[in-house]
Amino acid sequence: MISTDPPILSVRDLSVRFGALVAVNAVSFDAMRGHITSVIGPNGAGKSTLFNLISGAIRPSSGRVVFEGQDVTGAPPYRMLAAGLSRSFQITNLFFELSVYENLRLAAQFLEGATRALKPVSRSRLAQERVERLIEQFRLQHQAHELAGYLSHGEQRRLEIAVALACRPRVLLLDEPTQGMSHADTAETEEMIKSLAGELSILLIEHDVDLVMNLSDHVVVMHQGAKLAEGPPAEVRANPAVQAAYFGDAHHA
Amino acid sequence: MAEHLLALRAAVMRRERVSHSTLHFFAYAFIALCLVFAAIAMATGDVFFFRLATEALIFGGLALAVDILLGYTGLLSLGQALFFGYGAYVSGLVLKEIEPSFWTAMGIVLVTATAFGAIAGIIAIRARGVYFALITFGLAQVVSKIVFNTRELGASDGIIGIPVIKTDFLLFQVDTGHAPSFFLLVLSIIVGLYFLVAYVMGTPFGRTLVAIRANESRVPFLGFHPWRYKLAAFILAANVAALSGALYPMLRGFVSPELMFFQVSGNAVIMVIIGGVGTLIGPLYGAAILTGLKSVIGTFTEHHLIVIGMLFVLSVIFFPKGLVGHARPRIERILAARGRES
Repeated sequence: MISTDPPILSVRDLSVRFGALVAVNAVSFDAMRGHITSVIGPNGAGKSTLFNLISGAIRPSSGRVVFEGQDVTGAPPYRMLAAGLSRSFQITNLFFELSVYENLRLAAQFLEGATRALKPVSRSRLAQERVERLIEQFRLQHQAHELAGYLSHGEQRRLEIAVALACRPRVLLLDEPTQGMSHADTAETEEMIKSLAGELSILLIEHDVDLVMNLSDHVVVMHQGAKLAEGPPAEVRANPAVQAAYFGDAHHA
Repeated sequence: MAEHLLALRAAVMRRERVSHSTLHFFAYAFIALCLVFAAIAMATGDVFFFRLATEALIFGGLALAVDILLGYTGLLSLGQALFFGYGAYVSGLVLKEIEPSFWTAMGIVLVTATAFGAIAGIIAIRARGVYFALITFGLAQVVSKIVFNTRELGASDGIIGIPVIKTDFLLFQVDTGHAPSFFLLVLSIIVGLYFLVAYVMGTPFGRTLVAIRANESRVPFLGFHPWRYKLAAFILAANVAALSGALYPMLRGFVSPELMFFQVSGNAVIMVIIGGVGTLIGPLYGAAILTGLKSVIGTFTEHHLIVIGMLFVLSVIFFPKGLVGHARPRIERILAARGRES
């Protein structure tokens, strides 16, 4: 797919070293506006570390991250969120001792802006409407008053995505959203991600290769910290180097 | 709008109203108990218990400050008496050396405690968990020893001879030497601080503090910088402690370095735990209970700390949520049932 739009997110020669280990090694790729861009690779390929670099959780050793034309390399997470980039976590990262509603309201609170910081949350209409919309969208009506820690795994994974979406980001980073989900939940999450793309640009890490191939506009394959290949799903799947490293020789022999 | 969303909104509002009115129920009950006590003490012409109750309220303000950090932000301060003692010394010095005025003393304490709290906060919130507790403990120890050894501040004797002051409020005058009226003044200030803090905890700022306590690592990814929020909470808690401490020399006519000692910080934590962590009003109940127990048991035995220690252990085992934390669900059920009827 050829697009003349500038990419919404560009990663250029991004690297991070932890001592002698180069966890992410000179990775470059572009994510286009409204598209689903997936990052795949075997365990330990550096996918989550790449997400941590982009979302500001850790600072890169070198390279650049450009978001909507602005250099945001090394910006802390709260700046990235203010810029319009939000993320979910592979390991569910919620406020377990607070209710589902409160989790979402905390995340939607950002919409109210700093001028409302000293008005009671019970009067935050914008946040309230956003939370109600998300509760409906993610089918959490019956769990709204439950503590997040008491939800089932599938419900927690849904809430994880809903929390990341609450601030109305323009780019959403989803780190293995279907991790540990049942087959039915995975299929439903796939539909949900598809429906989000368009107004939202999505960067996705997934282990489920079928899901990635169905959903993605563009696939980036990582191997041992470096980019191995990138391109449209079909092209990536046919790439012999990718098959060797990821799908396994035996499988395709 | 869809019906189930309207139902959800109504349910959320009902829950918030009930939990809000439950905590305020405890606040109104506390005020009522104080007023009943005041009426009885006034009728019997008592001064000793008036002074003791006033002291309990003042230490309740310190406990309230501890609860802002412990119950909402998840930070255990073992040195909150530093700010309490700071407020007491500044207030004492202002009253004695500058001007015997209530408003001047409180104003100077407010401004300087903000600056002092910011400096101490920048040092303390670098650390988390047990390290935060140790830093606050250490800061209080260092400053109290410095004060203890500074002759200009009266060294181990502290500052004595702080004058009785008269203050005009719009309609009436309060004389700090008049036990009943000073009790009512302190009651209004401490309860006023409670309502102020309770309001703040219901704002996005306060909810973000709760989020930090629940899971600090996610907070930056919601767009908030935890450091700023923790520092603001620390400064708020420093001010609440310092303003409470500022009332102490008006009550007792002296201040001493002991006000900054660990005994005072530790007692404040005990008051919070007895009354209910994260309830704000609980610490005021805890202060009344602990101060009362100390005084009552102290008249029977000089080993009252042994008895209090044992009572504390028992209360933590049987009422881990404290008095208000324990009673809250019961009151909530009653208020919720009443809300449905009407």
